[in-house]
Amino acid sequence: MGRTHPSITQTFLDEQGALARFRRALRRSDQLVFDDLFARAHQHLAAAAYASHALPLEVFLLAMLLEEHKEVRALRQRLESLQPPLPPADE
Amino acid sequence: MNEIEGWLLDLYPARDGGLTVWLLQQDAQGCVACHALKQSFPIVSYVSGEAPALRAVWRFLRRQPIQARLERCQRRDLFEAQPLSVLKIEVQRPDHHALLVRRLTQAFPDLTYYDLDLPLSLRHAARYGSFATARCHLTVDEDGVIQGWQTLDTPWEIDAPPAPLRSLYLEPDVDPAHAAPSQLTVRAARFSYRLALQPGRPFLLNLRAILRRHDPDLLLTRWGDTWLLPYLLQATQRLGIPLPLSRDPQRGVAFRPERSYFSYGQVIHRGRQAHLFGRWHIDIENAVLYHDYGLEGTLEMARVTSLPLQAAARLSPGSGISAMQIRTALQMGILVPWQKQQAELPKTALDLLASDQGGLVYQPLIGLHEQVAELDFVSMYPSIMARFNISPETIASAAHTQAAVAHLHPLSEASQPALIPQTLSPLLEKRLELKKRLVDLPPADPRRKRYQACASAHKWLLVTCFGYLGYRNARFGCIEAHEAVTAYGREALLRAKEAAEEQGFEVLHLYVDGLWVKKAGATQVADFEPLLEEIARRTGLPIALEGIYRWIAFLPSRQDERLAVPNRYFGVFQDGSLKVRGLELRRRDTPLWIAEVQQAILECLAEAPTAAAARQRLPLILQFVRAALSELKGGRVPPEKLLLAQKLSRELAAYRQPSPAARAARQLQALGKLRRPGQCVRFWYVCEDGGVQAWDSGVLPQPTTLDQGRYRELLLRAVSTLLQPFGISEKRLRQEIAAACPARPLSLWKLPDAGLAARPDSAVRPPAPPPH
Repeated sequence: MGRTHPSITQTFLDEQGALARFRRALRRSDQLVFDDLFARAHQHLAAAAYASHALPLEVFLLAMLLEEHKEVRALRQRLESLQPPLPPADE
Repeated sequence: MNEIEGWLLDLYPARDGGLTVWLLQQDAQGCVACHALKQSFPIVSYVSGEAPALRAVWRFLRRQPIQARLERCQRRDLFEAQPLSVLKIEVQRPDHHALLVRRLTQAFPDLTYYDLDLPLSLRHAARYGSFATARCHLTVDEDGVIQGWQTLDTPWEIDAPPAPLRSLYLEPDVDPAHAAPSQLTVRAARFSYRLALQPGRPFLLNLRAILRRHDPDLLLTRWGDTWLLPYLLQATQRLGIPLPLSRDPQRGVAFRPERSYFSYGQVIHRGRQAHLFGRWHIDIENAVLYHDYGLEGTLEMARVTSLPLQAAARLSPGSGISAMQIRTALQMGILVPWQKQQAELPKTALDLLASDQGGLVYQPLIGLHEQVAELDFVSMYPSIMARFNISPETIASAAHTQAAVAHLHPLSEASQPALIPQTLSPLLEKRLELKKRLVDLPPADPRRKRYQACASAHKWLLVTCFGYLGYRNARFGCIEAHEAVTAYGREALLRAKEAAEEQGFEVLHLYVDGLWVKKAGATQVADFEPLLEEIARRTGLPIALEGIYRWIAFLPSRQDERLAVPNRYFGVFQDGSLKVRGLELRRRDTPLWIAEVQQAILECLAEAPTAAAARQRLPLILQFVRAALSELKGGRVPPEKLLLAQKLSRELAAYRQPSPAARAARQLQALGKLRRPGQCVRFWYVCEDGGVQAWDSGVLPQPTTLDQGRYRELLLRAVSTLLQPFGISEKRLRQEIAAACPARPLSLWKLPDAGLAARPDSAVRPPAPPPH
């Protein structure tokens, strides 16, 4: 590992670095959200390493999507639990 | 002819041909004596090449004054599919062998040589099964020449009869790198002397008398390699009083030069070495891992590797595993390459992307978790090599390896295990047996300490054997085999994860060979047994429950608290013992004061039976931190507890931006005390002098000159690491400390330590205090 290609952590930092110009041009508030996306994708480094995909950014984007969808599902579940229970069906 | 029995102490080439063999004997009355014997021992090596070249070698050797027996034969090179036709060169005298091969390799540099530069003890071990402290039965003729040799035990025996070694311990009164010693403490089983070094004549005469009277088999010294033995030799030459340091009267002391080298991400410094003949010398300050496994571990290292004890004490475990492989190769009749010339197989970029990977390392779920079990594969990588028959000769192609890994099938179905598995299997079995016995032994059993030392020596050998498989210059290194091991490891860990999830466990963390899992209601060992069995069934590898944590905290990165890091956590097992990784107190550069505060807080948290109870102790802990800070402010922390220790990573002149350690080393250099890469420098943070003051400069800093702000910062960071998982952020900690009411006495220092008995293998160890 690290013998012929960089470690997954290094790859992750490189991909993040490659988007530095994009990040710089974002508004400050958006920059923070952008960083958050990468922090979430970071949780799946091990899976990204195991995938050993030729285009790692694709895997990182998918990891972001995965975390986003997790959040959506969690919020949906909370929302549903807040709904008033259905009235009992008439006999 | 005489039949004798005893323990092998030492063997080396004699000046007049053959071997000198030292045998330790004990008679029926218990008297111990050590005798020198002789043995004839021809040395064999091989050369391969084109037929005309080999004929030229034949003619060349026939013309040499040193005669060798020559023979054409077939032998196996591990990296070749077919046996090679080679020329066998047998030299009668070991001392002539080196001379002859030097001439031969100079005359024919382009040929491939085998078995050329092997340690004598390994050749002897392959032929006779010998090793240091082996029990031997010898047939000796009237001239003291060994005619028959039978080794009565094997390296793999656990309770072999111990050799009745007599040792003498020599220690100067002060570290010679720090100041000039004036006295020497001499200690043996029943006595202890203090000898003044000056005047030199009576000192040497006294020491000589002690050496003659007690005739030790082992000289155990502190700084013997780097200072004491060179000092003694100089004194004997100056005063003309010979000192029998070696038992062999014809031999003096053999010195090997000091060196710094790079290993596992660290620069390591090894001092000059002083080897004796017919007697062992171990410098505990210069021996490898002596602080880890002691004399018993060192004896075990020599036992399982067949290296001479003095070499085994000073060699890295990597050289140990290499020696074991060479011994196996000699026994199997496999050629040992002199200079390895194996290139890597060609690979496509995609192949590389798939194969050039390490173990699986996850990012744990950050935070505090309760009732977590840690399951570890036992000696995972060596077990994989042994079970799946991984060795340079079983590697066929990338596709073959991939297919075998996907089904967890062995790389080769041959009935005889390959070289690497054959080397490792007995060691793995011995280690497992030791571990099994350790579980059953009562805590006070005298065998416990020895078993632990042996297990520790084995651990180091097993840990390095994986790295050596990937090392280009290792004689049996093969990168494809190395990569296959990690591929099997990833497959096994993923199968373990799948088994855990199928049984309803949440997987908190995976780290190469271990997994951390929890499930509501699973709190006892029995709750995890089915999972262990299932994993063992799916992977075919041994796995064990390391323990169940009452709670464990996985810590985030220092730079960004949203990011998890794989190896920074602390937790308390159900028996109250702590396991800590990556915290300040595990680092050698942490001042003792900070390590002690961290340790005390951890122990306070560990006393609580649940995480909720631990949380209730936070006010007490904050109080304790305030008290510690006021000790610092009042100058009541002893300066030696504020010392930092850092290693130099390069020569002083090579630093562009000198680290604090380098700045301290420069101060020492100005005083004429030279520090080399890999050596440790101790220093304080002070307000002046470039921010550091070196410890060895002979002046103690005043409490007022110490950089208190810096130490306060270090402490607060260390405390914050521990409190963060309990909901106290670094900001909140600072507020709490700033709002300090006057500190109360340090009640935490006197916490009862019942139930805090540290586990030996995962124990928290604060750095040792520096000697004064």
